[in-house]
Amino acid sequence: MNLNRTSAYFVLHAKSYMRSRSALFFQLAFPIILILLFGAIFSGSSYSPSTLIVQNESPSVASWGVVNAINESGLFKVHVIPENENLTKYITNNSVEAALLIPSNFTTNIYSGGKGYIMLEGHSNPTVASVDYQTLNGIFTEINFRSSNTTQKLVLSSQIAIGNTGKTINYYVPGLIGFTVLSTMFNMVYTVPNYRREKLFRQLSFSGLTKSEWITANMMFSFLMLILSDVILVAIGIYVFGASLVLNIQTILTSALIIFGGLFFFTSVGILAGLVSDNEETVSVVGNLVMFPMMFLSGVFFPLTFAPAYLVTISKFLPLTYFINSLISVLDYGNISSVALQILWLLLGSAILFIIAVTLFSWKQK
Amino acid sequence: MSENVIKVSNLVKSYSDVRAVDGISFSIERGEVFSILGPNGAGKTTTVEILEGVRNRTSGDVQVLGQDPEKSRSLVFKVGILPQDFSFVYNSTPKEALDFYKGTLRASSDLHEILEMVELEDKSSTPFQKLSGGQKQKLGLALSLVNNPEILFLDEPTSGLDPRARRNIWKVIKGLKDAGKSILLTTHYLEEAELLADRVAIMNKGKIIDSGRPMEIVERHHEDDNLIIRGDGEVERLLTAGGFLFHREGAYLKINLKSIKDATEIINYLYERKAAFEDFTLKRESLEDVFVRMIGAIEEDESE
Repeated sequence: MNLNRTSAYFVLHAKSYMRSRSALFFQLAFPIILILLFGAIFSGSSYSPSTLIVQNESPSVASWGVVNAINESGLFKVHVIPENENLTKYITNNSVEAALLIPSNFTTNIYSGGKGYIMLEGHSNPTVASVDYQTLNGIFTEINFRSSNTTQKLVLSSQIAIGNTGKTINYYVPGLIGFTVLSTMFNMVYTVPNYRREKLFRQLSFSGLTKSEWITANMMFSFLMLILSDVILVAIGIYVFGASLVLNIQTILTSALIIFGGLFFFTSVGILAGLVSDNEETVSVVGNLVMFPMMFLSGVFFPLTFAPAYLVTISKFLPLTYFINSLISVLDYGNISSVALQILWLLLGSAILFIIAVTLFSWKQK
Repeated sequence: MSENVIKVSNLVKSYSDVRAVDGISFSIERGEVFSILGPNGAGKTTTVEILEGVRNRTSGDVQVLGQDPEKSRSLVFKVGILPQDFSFVYNSTPKEALDFYKGTLRASSDLHEILEMVELEDKSSTPFQKLSGGQKQKLGLALSLVNNPEILFLDEPTSGLDPRARRNIWKVIKGLKDAGKSILLTTHYLEEAELLADRVAIMNKGKIIDSGRPMEIVERHHEDDNLIIRGDGEVERLLTAGGFLFHREGAYLKINLKSIKDATEIINYLYERKAAFEDFTLKRESLEDVFVRMIGAIEEDESE
């Protein structure tokens, strides 16, 4: 690979890209619009305390400790109802939005070193349910974190990601960074068939440029644009919506590494998808087929906590899920060690996929 | 003895059961303009793309400057290529495109001079998609000249251009020919080949059906020459009386000539008899007439 040729194409690509209003819109303006939109919708710097009905069927030091922790968080005003009250009836009669049931086996499970399951019930409004669920899960995560040297864990239905102060914007910043990285795949899905159709690869090959140099120059430019757009996203998240992210040299470098790995991965997927699309109709089908499941099932725009189990299972097969989860762990919790292995797999997978993509990608006319 | 810069021997390119190029052989000497002519689908572009190294051949031998274009990447530094349907990166300008080529091909050429040569200097900062068809072709030609190539592959360089733009490109090609460049030109404008090429090869259905200097091909295949006279009934009567073979086409009388010298005899004959003819033209078949008849004859034979 020749660096002069790579940088010559980088300059050509950068100049032409900067003249493309649609490219700039999707790379920079679109993610900003999304964060402004989501930030505005979920911009509460903290939740206003809402009433949470609690029925404790397993009174003990442990269960009352959990109830106290919820109360002291300031996020809910806890109202305890008697054990013998019919909770379902109570919810209906009083139009209760949030009711927490600590089941009778809770204390036994906790003291035997297992998981203490708690159920959130009675929501007719899924939006409120989602917010309450995330808030409670945030409190439980905090409790679990503080008692990390014990085996007992509190579990609220299933694990979901939530910011260290329970702000929804903390979730959206890594999610939207994931979206920007995913969009690099979208670029390739469209660019490869378009360049082939317009015979631009043939033309570029006359300049002495090789396919590896073309891919490298594209990726270098995409990485710069990603860093730029992601810095803007984080800045808006922090300064406009008060996101509280863990930003230090380690988390920033780790995030950059994750983004770089993601760029490699999704660029390679984009090239492979672009190779099977030989006309505009196929490009559109393949592009959407690859993009949409990941966009909506990997947790870019909303957590999958309330999704049916089969969708959660599907999300586990989507690489973007791991990419976003890694970013959440790093940026929201500053937790690098727990995702180190995940990042390693991401980089390894990206390298393998990249080699396959470059090998299959030919500039020769068919 | 002159050096062959391109040698093609028994070249075959097949796509499943179709032979796009069917065992053709030819060579091009240094400094020569060689033109491949043929109708659409004749195999011209496939042949040129194999020589450019962008398409692999099925069988046969191909040498460009002594190297196999399928294997040698260094050839891009020695040849210039203007492909058919030239296109370039959207939103990039001619100046940026030339800068890019100069950088990648490690060339030392004066880009301003090249832009001037192809008459594109006033459009040097216009994004590619805003250039007209002719301007795009000129940019393609300009890019093919950046590395001061030994051989130029020009695949239908004037296709779709208006007559003025076409003549401009011809001027540039003539200049390159005068500068001693070897040029492989494919075209379906026969006039272009007749004007620019030293030798031509006529391709049809993957095969070369004839080759040689344009005049040689015309000589080999042309039918009788004709003298065309604009004249009235009196002229017609005199020609009949003189025993000349002719027929009327509107206001014109078309007289078949056994030899080109017969034209003088007929004009003198009419002049001596004070015939009232207004003007006359000697019509000799062009390469285009010969080409159309050759291709037409093959198609007729096949349909029978």
